Amino acid sequence: MNPLQEITWLDKATINETQGSLHTARRVSGRLNLYRIPWLRPVFESRWPQFLVRLLALVGFVFAIVAGLFGSVIGSHNFAIIFVWIAWWSAFKLVFIPFGGRAWCSICPITLPGDWLQQGGILSKGHGLGLNLRWPKRLKGSWLQSSAFLLIGLFSALTLTDPRLTGWVFVALFGLAIGLSLVFEHRAFCSYICPIGGFSGIYAQTAPVELRVIDIEICAKHSDKSCYHACPWGLYPVAFRDNAACGLCLECLRACPRDNLALSLRPFGTDIGKPRTANRLDEAFLALVMLGSALVFAAVFVGPWGWLKSAAFAVGSLQWMAYSASFLSLNLLILPGLFALAVWLGQRTSRVKLPLKREVANQSQALLPLGLMAWIAFTVSFAFPKLGYILGVLNDPFGWGWKLLGAGYTFWSPDVSGFSPVLQVILLLIGLFLSANVTRRLAGSDFRRTVPILAFCLAFSLGMFWLLVG
Amino acid sequence: MRQEWLARILVILLLAVAVSIPVVGWWQRSQGVVLHARMAETGGWTPENLTVQVGEPLHLRLTSDDVTHSFAIGQSDQPAVDVIPGEITEITLLFDRPGKYTFYCTRQCSLNHWRMRGTIEVTGSSTTTETIKLPLYVTLGLDIDAEHHADVIPAQKPSALRGALLNQSVPAIYLSREYYLAHTPLELWKALRGEPAFQPLTGQDVWDLVAWVWQSNTAPQELQVGQQLYSTNCAACHGEGGAGDGIFAYSALTPISLPSGEGQGVRVPPVNFTDPSHMLSASPAHLQGKIIRGGMGTGMPYWGPIFTEDQTWALVAYLWSFQFELEKKP
Amino acid sequence: MRWLRWAVFVGLMLVVWFTPIPAAATTPTERSFRINASRFEYSPAILAVNPGDKVTIELISTDVVHGLAIDGYNLAATVDPGQTARLTFVADRQGSFRFRCTVTCGNLHPFMIGKLNVGQNTLLWRAVALSGWVLVGGAWVLKK
Repeated sequence: MNPLQEITWLDKATINETQGSLHTARRVSGRLNLYRIPWLRPVFESRWPQFLVRLLALVGFVFAIVAGLFGSVIGSHNFAIIFVWIAWWSAFKLVFIPFGGRAWCSICPITLPGDWLQQGGILSKGHGLGLNLRWPKRLKGSWLQSSAFLLIGLFSALTLTDPRLTGWVFVALFGLAIGLSLVFEHRAFCSYICPIGGFSGIYAQTAPVELRVIDIEICAKHSDKSCYHACPWGLYPVAFRDNAACGLCLECLRACPRDNLALSLRPFGTDIGKPRTANRLDEAFLALVMLGSALVFAAVFVGPWGWLKSAAFAVGSLQWMAYSASFLSLNLLILPGLFALAVWLGQRTSRVKLPLKREVANQSQALLPLGLMAWIAFTVSFAFPKLGYILGVLNDPFGWGWKLLGAGYTFWSPDVSGFSPVLQVILLLIGLFLSANVTRRLAGSDFRRTVPILAFCLAFSLGMFWLLVG
Repeated sequence: MRQEWLARILVILLLAVAVSIPVVGWWQRSQGVVLHARMAETGGWTPENLTVQVGEPLHLRLTSDDVTHSFAIGQSDQPAVDVIPGEITEITLLFDRPGKYTFYCTRQCSLNHWRMRGTIEVTGSSTTTETIKLPLYVTLGLDIDAEHHADVIPAQKPSALRGALLNQSVPAIYLSREYYLAHTPLELWKALRGEPAFQPLTGQDVWDLVAWVWQSNTAPQELQVGQQLYSTNCAACHGEGGAGDGIFAYSALTPISLPSGEGQGVRVPPVNFTDPSHMLSASPAHLQGKIIRGGMGTGMPYWGPIFTEDQTWALVAYLWSFQFELEKKP
Repeated sequence: MRWLRWAVFVGLMLVVWFTPIPAAATTPTERSFRINASRFEYSPAILAVNPGDKVTIELISTDVVHGLAIDGYNLAATVDPGQTARLTFVADRQGSFRFRCTVTCGNLHPFMIGKLNVGQNTLLWRAVALSGWVLVGGAWVLKK
């Protein structure tokens, strides 16, 4: 039996396709392999650099928890609120995802203690604790991640402004991640639950870095599959077709005895625009939830409608229930319904008809540039006026009157009114352009199919324009 | 294996640093007095009562947990300092006389802003004995809760300037400060109306004379001080124009329930200072009494511990400007 | 030939971006608004004036100390309940500007936002126009 067939699960493709396409497409031609750059290689090969950065992230995370639980209750003067929701979240959407894909996962502190316990050591494997159960097949995919993101949206007005609640949410996430590491095998929290993982995974497909095998022939002859055994996520790097699942921990890179894995730079948006044969409706749903959430977050946080903000904030009240009902129906009914309608209308103009579910899953790739740029534009609108607070909380993380950076520091708000709206418009236009491009590429010569989907993308963009700069 | 242990030590060390920084900070903080300000409905000042010795400096670190407040000491020269959410304001107080001092908030922070008060008990021996001075309305035996109306009111707002231009000589008894404090404008009007020298004057002229007499008992600086106090403390309920239509006026009509059980009182709108029938039948002593004592179950706060006597008279003087055209500049 | 297509595409975009849109000729007048600030909204929250108008904003607060600062206009005011703060300025910059609260007034203070529309929101119109063009470009003109 073909060694590849011994692996009983392959999330992303059927066995037939694996054998066919892998043989042809896997040479790393023309892409710069960072792992082969002489001065850069030691940084990736040794576990220490990544460990130190990750440890710093863990220290920051624990510090944020302590600040949230014990520091000032005024959000703007608390390290937990400003550093997480302004500094980190902005860096995440402006730097990590567009330029690194799932790079945050490689230094994320939330599962760090859990990982250590699971593998029985920090830099080397030992006797791990944990039951190492298999993740239930029914719960695989990104459905739980979408649900987690919807939960965030329901409570965001409260969480983003209340340091105590933020602190407790982090404690809960921490506990959940560690708990799952002790019960299930691999990075179950990261792969199936964490909404940040869902966010970065889905948009990582547009990112300019990738981790792939270099020469598939070498892998075919290799019976040990050390990369698979090394991967803490339980993935099979040989079979990677896109960036969605890989957390860039680089263990497989270090484990491969033939140095056959590459961390390459590549053009933006390489993973999308190819017709897919695998049915991933959960990814389509996550892409739509991202769009719906972007619209609602823009309306609530940067819009002038005080009644909406108060409704989103007063958790448990009648107004909040109305807000929640609207939020959920937008994300569960309206947007998916409209998109499915657009896909169906497009199908009617074409002779080739695939099942609607598969077509929706396929076409949902077009929503990725749109969503990513919408979130980046929202971040510019939301976070840029508050950047002055970052130095403020570095000076006084707890709101206790400290002056770590020196006395006389005052909180200031930069005047971004000159370039901020223009920047947002440019970002949204780029997103629309790329989405139109992807839609076109998916349709091939059959361009009449694209019209309803393009209309959907245009409607979303106009909505974002109105909310952000209108 | 050595690397593994090094890594573990590093983890424990850095995490310990991350946790110990706030612990040290917390401990340091509890060494001084940190005064937290919250809206009265959610706790007010914490702690509410402080104690200090005469002559001993009291270092206070003030912060707010919700909105902008300020800190001031009643009946003292200590200027008010703002208490800002998330930031620390440091002040040092020094008391040279023992007694009970009231500290309070001077920036409207909620419907029950005026209840945001605390006390500083200054202990120590006092070399001088203090005599308690009774408020004037008590000495005069005034019932400041009794109903009062003016049966004669002017057709137009009396002007002190017009009164001065009439160039009449008002008998000295009516010009004294004692007379001003103890009598209502209506009483003065009736007295002047009865004077034979003023028979040729019209009723409105006599009102202008009353205004002029009132003006002569008021210094322009007093009016400015009074206006400042009014704007900061009274306008929220009584309105910037004095008509009893301020932002919080409606709240005076709704019963409020505080944990202490206060506030379950009479629903009465704030007094309308532009109503001649009400104001012209009240004397300065009457008004001062109301201000000092408060409203007995209505929403009117008691300002006795807060304003000095001079400040109270200045405020009363300003209130008359809603009834009379008074010159505000010297 | 690809570069030619790109040149035309970008060129037309720049044209749409920089074409001056003639503003409707309006004589500058004096406008006055009375804004109630409360936790956490302004009422009215959306103001519309013409370019060149002399705008006076009377700000009152109905609960706690609030503030108001207009993005891009370098103006700010603070108001206590019971008092009125006044801001007077000439609306010489065209577009849509957000104004925000400047005094911490509670949890949602950073999101206490209103909008000042001076004249036409030309940025929005250009964005809409460019959306259509970008859609066409992405889907037809510049497909790979």
